[in-house]
Amino acid sequence: MKRLGLLYLAAQNLKRKPFRSFVTIAIVGLAAGTLFSATLLVKSVDRSLEVGLERLGADVMVMPEGSQEPGEAALLTGSPTSFYMEESVLDQVRAVPGVSQASPQLFIETLVSSQCCTGYLQLVGYEPATDFVVEPWLRQNLNRPLEEDEVVVGSLILANKGEHVHFYGKDFSVAGVLDTTGMGADESVFLRLDDAYEMAVESAAVADDELLITPGQISSVLVKIDRDTNSDLVAQRIRTGVAGVSVITADDLSRSVTDRISGFKRGFIALDAIVWVMSLLTIAAIFSMIVNERQREIGLIRAMGGTRNFIFRLMLAEALLLTAIGGAAGVFLGGSALFIFKTVITSSLGIPYLWPPMWYFGSMIGGTLMLSVATGAIASLYPALSSSRLEPYLAIRRGE
Amino acid sequence: MATEQETITNVEKAGETEGPVINLKDLSKTYKVGPNTVRAVESLSLEIPRGQMVSIVGHSGSGKTTLLSLIGGLTKPSSGRVLLEGNNIWNLTDKELSRLRNERVGFAFQFASLFPTLNAIDNVRLPATFGNSGAADDGNRAMDLLGLVGLKSRAHSYPAMLSGGEQRRVALARTLMNRPRIILADEPSGDLDEDTEADILEIFKRINEEGVTIVIVTHSRAVASQAQRMLRMHRGHLFEELE
Ligand SMILES: Nc1ncnc2c1ncn2[C@@H]1O[C@H](COP(=O)(O)OP(=O)(O)O)[C@@H](O)[C@H]1O
Ligand SMILES: [Mg+2]
Repeated sequence: MKRLGLLYLAAQNLKRKPFRSFVTIAIVGLAAGTLFSATLLVKSVDRSLEVGLERLGADVMVMPEGSQEPGEAALLTGSPTSFYMEESVLDQVRAVPGVSQASPQLFIETLVSSQCCTGYLQLVGYEPATDFVVEPWLRQNLNRPLEEDEVVVGSLILANKGEHVHFYGKDFSVAGVLDTTGMGADESVFLRLDDAYEMAVESAAVADDELLITPGQISSVLVKIDRDTNSDLVAQRIRTGVAGVSVITADDLSRSVTDRISGFKRGFIALDAIVWVMSLLTIAAIFSMIVNERQREIGLIRAMGGTRNFIFRLMLAEALLLTAIGGAAGVFLGGSALFIFKTVITSSLGIPYLWPPMWYFGSMIGGTLMLSVATGAIASLYPALSSSRLEPYLAIRRGE
Repeated sequence: MATEQETITNVEKAGETEGPVINLKDLSKTYKVGPNTVRAVESLSLEIPRGQMVSIVGHSGSGKTTLLSLIGGLTKPSSGRVLLEGNNIWNLTDKELSRLRNERVGFAFQFASLFPTLNAIDNVRLPATFGNSGAADDGNRAMDLLGLVGLKSRAHSYPAMLSGGEQRRVALARTLMNRPRIILADEPSGDLDEDTEADILEIFKRINEEGVTIVIVTHSRAVASQAQRMLRMHRGHLFEELE
């Protein structure tokens, strides 16, 4: 025979007014869902920035004058771009005090239709001798430098290690797939700068579209700075010392992302605060109603030997049950919504995105549920207390 | 129906105390209603020995319900003392008083008092869940009691599906669930048909024979006359009725 425990009685009570219970669940769910998804989104953007900038490894980026915007977009979200400047910029940058390492990159925006994939993607030529973006990864994962006609691809490029891809009539073999960063690198294909130039020269003969790049052109210079200086200072020196370039720092890049989501953040904090307060008030109001409606039952339970404490716990249990269900529903729906609309959100805001690790997910779920349940506890505390303090006789009488 | 040999309440086995089971001393209960003071019960003293069945009659508003609530500790007297089996109940903690109500007192109310969310048998079992009796066999006992009131077949019906008389019988089974030694019944057959009233009275008489002390408030002469002692309540005072 089933036990007529507290939880069973509480659950039975909630079924009495399904609509009212549903409304409570829905409002708590809304509060929990917005909190969960907004926090997750912001965290994912932060994480992507962190991982992506770490991968990039550069403190300062130098690009042709006027190409700052497409350059940022390419770095952050991988939207393909191409702009060029003369190689001489590299030496000028190297000569700037505070610059510790500088390495050129060449961006080629390309339409691919190979066996693996079609669509625009970004080819990035890098210089193996000076590179600090791909080389460290190669050293760790491949244990050798990239050879001629080899590429490593970002995690979103649908090609596996060992497969072959064609760009501008040239055949490359995939030497490795990079880890996900959520930033532009995920949609880029990295190849040696020399190969890129060679590809351009050969494209005149073998490709449908000739690649109009001459050896010696580069798209950007990635800079690592000395330890004892700061990136803003070095960036400023490059701006004044090198003509015809735009300079952005890694800090600028994060700041630009942070700015882009700050409006969103503020909006969500305001919305969520309102919804939480609303849930608090709704639950308090509903439970005051419940106490009123059930006076006679409360009196009867007391007459049967239920203690004050039991009444208190029964009311609290009902509130906790409702808010726990609401919180769980909110986490589930908010998480699903974020999962579904992630691409729309990130591309419309132009922000990078990388799901946080499992433990973070877990603690976010736990935290949201706890907050929901705490809301229930706080909101129902007074009604629960006053119901437990009703005099049984009066409770039974008033319920008549 | 429970077997003939089996008792419903097992009162004899319960602890025996000397002296009256119910002992009210100079008990008063007043209510403030606006500027007026209503004296629902006034300087009332009463001793009821174990195993007595007492009926109380009186006009409505004379204080009968208030008196029963005072005896059962559902309301606190304005002055005076209530002793149940020798315990001054207002010296007990809420936990102790609740336990006393749970284990020793059974209330039968005038109105339909079943919980709409529970079926008949769960309603009957309910008092067992508030006690610490372990309640492993409470299902069997509840079923026996439903048999006693003739509603075994309706064990899984919800109150809304039961007639008023059936609900009242289920409530009576619930009153008996924890084998109370004292039963306080407030017009338990108030609006019932004669047959149901007779059935209920029959059960009261039977448990009274087992030693249960019963105080029954009634409008019915027939019911009142079954008691060993008849009291009349008038404006908060009690008078012995002599046949
Ligand atoms: N909670 C209360 N507040 C004010 N007056 C009350 C309250 N309960 C009972 N009374 C009054 O006390 C008197 C006795 O009531 P009651 O015990 O219900 O009488 P009976 O059960 O004999 O009809 C009545 O005058 C009633 O109006
Ligand atoms: Mg009455």
